[in-house]
Amino acid sequence: MTEAILSVAGLRSGYGRTVICDDISLQVSAGQITCIIGPNGAGKSTLLKTIAGVVSAIDGSIRVAGVEMAGLPAARVAGSGMAYVPQEANVFRALTTHENLAMGGWQDEGRTQAARDRVYDMFPDLQPLARVPAGNLSGGQRQMVAFGMALMLEPQVLLLDEPSAGLSPLMVGEMFETVRRVNAEGVAILMVEQNALQGLKTAHEGIVMAAGRIAMQGAASELLNSADVSELYLGSRI
Amino acid sequence: MNLQIFVNALVNAALIAPPAMAFSLLFGVLKFPNFAIGGYITLGAFAAYTFNVPLGLPLPLATLGAMLFTGFVVWLAHVWVFKPMQDQSAVTLLVVSIALTLILESVVRLFFSADVRGFDIPLERPWKFWGARITREQVEIIACAVVLATGLHVLLRHTRIGRAMRAVADNPMLAAIRGVDAAKITALTTVLCGAIFGLTGVFAGLDLVIEPLVGWNLTIPIFAAAILGGIGSPYGAILGALLLGLAEELTILVLPSTYKIAVGFVIIAIFLLLRPQGLFGTAEIKK
Amino acid sequence: MSAYLVSMATYAGFFIILALALNLQWGLTGMVNFGIAGFYALGAYTSGLLSAKAGWPLGMSIPMAIAAGFAAGGLVALLSMRLREDFLAIVTLGVGEVIRLVVLNEDQITEGPRGLRIEAQPFQSLIAPENYPVFYLGFVAFFVAITYWICERIRKAPMGRTLRAIREDDVVAGVLGKNVFRHRIQIFAIGGGFMGLAGALYAHYSQNISPEVFMPTVAMFIWMSVIVGGAGNNRGLLIGAGTVIMFLEGTRFFGDVLPWLDAETMSSVRIITIGLLLIVTLRLRPRGLLPEPKFTYTKDKIAG
Repeated sequence: MTEAILSVAGLRSGYGRTVICDDISLQVSAGQITCIIGPNGAGKSTLLKTIAGVVSAIDGSIRVAGVEMAGLPAARVAGSGMAYVPQEANVFRALTTHENLAMGGWQDEGRTQAARDRVYDMFPDLQPLARVPAGNLSGGQRQMVAFGMALMLEPQVLLLDEPSAGLSPLMVGEMFETVRRVNAEGVAILMVEQNALQGLKTAHEGIVMAAGRIAMQGAASELLNSADVSELYLGSRI
Repeated sequence: MNLQIFVNALVNAALIAPPAMAFSLLFGVLKFPNFAIGGYITLGAFAAYTFNVPLGLPLPLATLGAMLFTGFVVWLAHVWVFKPMQDQSAVTLLVVSIALTLILESVVRLFFSADVRGFDIPLERPWKFWGARITREQVEIIACAVVLATGLHVLLRHTRIGRAMRAVADNPMLAAIRGVDAAKITALTTVLCGAIFGLTGVFAGLDLVIEPLVGWNLTIPIFAAAILGGIGSPYGAILGALLLGLAEELTILVLPSTYKIAVGFVIIAIFLLLRPQGLFGTAEIKK
Repeated sequence: MSAYLVSMATYAGFFIILALALNLQWGLTGMVNFGIAGFYALGAYTSGLLSAKAGWPLGMSIPMAIAAGFAAGGLVALLSMRLREDFLAIVTLGVGEVIRLVVLNEDQITEGPRGLRIEAQPFQSLIAPENYPVFYLGFVAFFVAITYWICERIRKAPMGRTLRAIREDDVVAGVLGKNVFRHRIQIFAIGGGFMGLAGALYAHYSQNISPEVFMPTVAMFIWMSVIVGGAGNNRGLLIGAGTVIMFLEGTRFFGDVLPWLDAETMSSVRIITIGLLLIVTLRLRPRGLLPEPKFTYTKDKIAG
């Protein structure tokens, strides 16, 4: 196993006095895709938001390449080698594709030009849409802009909150393909997925969350074959 | 006579367009219609008056001083009032902004009384061309408005800070995730808008008169232009101001000029009822 | 001095009716009204003009004032039913300003800034002049009681409870049927009618009305009353309106004691103080000093 790029230990978080996630420990290895599945309300999105610094951690540690992130606000976490793509409203609708990418590189303007070219190389479909406001793009195109924006600072790990949500069935397959392509560039990915089957098929590692805690974790292929998991989360989808 | 209508409409639009753009910008980051702009404009007019008449500074310098002063006051209002209350409902903020405008107006009344004043500028004969008249001040107002609108366009479209202002207005959460200090950008937007309101106060003092209600009387027309142009869209506000200016001038042909403020309101009402998103706005912005 | 107290209490009565009406509109339906001054003026001028210029008896002119406020309220609500609350605020404020401008400009009818003189007062011939102010206070108190009773009835009725429940969520309001819309319009209209009543009572009390009374500051004072009292809470509101009017009228008294304060200075200081109090109250107690009972609501800022 390769070294962990993101390691979370004993993490607890929530809103106000309500604890949503508790006792979360997980590791994301460099260059690997890890997928978190679980029922609605299991705290998957909150966990991702906590790691990204959008929701502040109550207790525990979040290390990115060995550097402690817990307690830092989202603005400080950005540019630390980790980039978060929220589930909804993950592009600036009033800004063009080009400007969205520039916002992705906000913290290091010097690199913007080169980074933008790299994103356009990775998503050639975006190039002709450079001057189009993101609000006018299709769902799939917007998702690409959101990924591209997150990749502008060349993160080592990408946090994706339900990337397939709201996409048409045809687009879902394409989106997971994009996730694999981004990963092929060497970016580790931690994603939350409602679409457990597709998510686990794409991932190397899998984590099952229930009631704010980690219920199971292991290789994605093992989880796919596990009787418990298929009965609970994959059942109707197989 | 017909040309005169267009000249007047243009002057009106030049007076209304910059604050309507600023109002739109401010609405974008704060997400409620800020009635305090009336008070800010009045403050700008009286600050410029103070620099110009009692202190004897030339008008351009007094204008600059008024812009800085108003920007500073608007920043204070942001820090003391609007920022700490930003999580409260739009109605609460609206009530607060009305209170603020009445406070500022009363402070001005306290120091200057309700007398009508004017700047210390030499009286000149208006220029005439093809039967229309225009004063030197009106030409200056139009020129300043064009420069300001262009400047604002360049700032918003072609600078890093302007792009961040639009990003924060669009999606403050995502802006924070991408490392933008949203609070700082919001404060900066506020100060910029404050300076524009200060400048509007000077324009209003030049074209109309300087009195405590000057800002209040402009509030409804400014809202009308901004809503007409699609609230939150600074460019729409320019066209909104032009249309409003024209509508106001056409109304004066048939109604007493004191009904001018009503024109703005009627336009707002009709537009909100028929097209809640304005002329150029896309979907309704939901808080 | 006691004459002064009677006058102050009478003014408090007008304010309480306005505040109850606003609380009905805003507290129950969530529809804001910043055109209070306009509805107030509409009532005052309807009854005043019908009585002074058309010679109608008060028994007909005052109900007409109520009807005018009711119709105006219903019309505003009907036309702006689907507007967001902040846009509704602009529309209602505009309605108020337009009413004031019409009164100001159509001076051949309204006497404009010169002020309209109204001779007629209710039961004028039956009451001795020296007792009249006290009688009028009782007359106003009677209408305050009726208004209060009707507002409480509406608030406690099943529809009132439903309206309060959906007030917090316009998405829910949006999918609810026409029935709810009709009730919201009705309630806004009833509120408008009460404001018209307050205007008529004011007109026949002061016997001289002019547009400068109906400035948007009135809206701020009434909002202050409702907010201090706690929105949705009619009993708290009596205290709120009482406090505001005591402050407004009580500070007039300083003018007699401190002669170096002229009327204009005093009015400015008054507005500054009220405004600051309003802002401080809202900053520290967003739900008012006496919040609506048994109805807690917290805003979920971050959707999980």
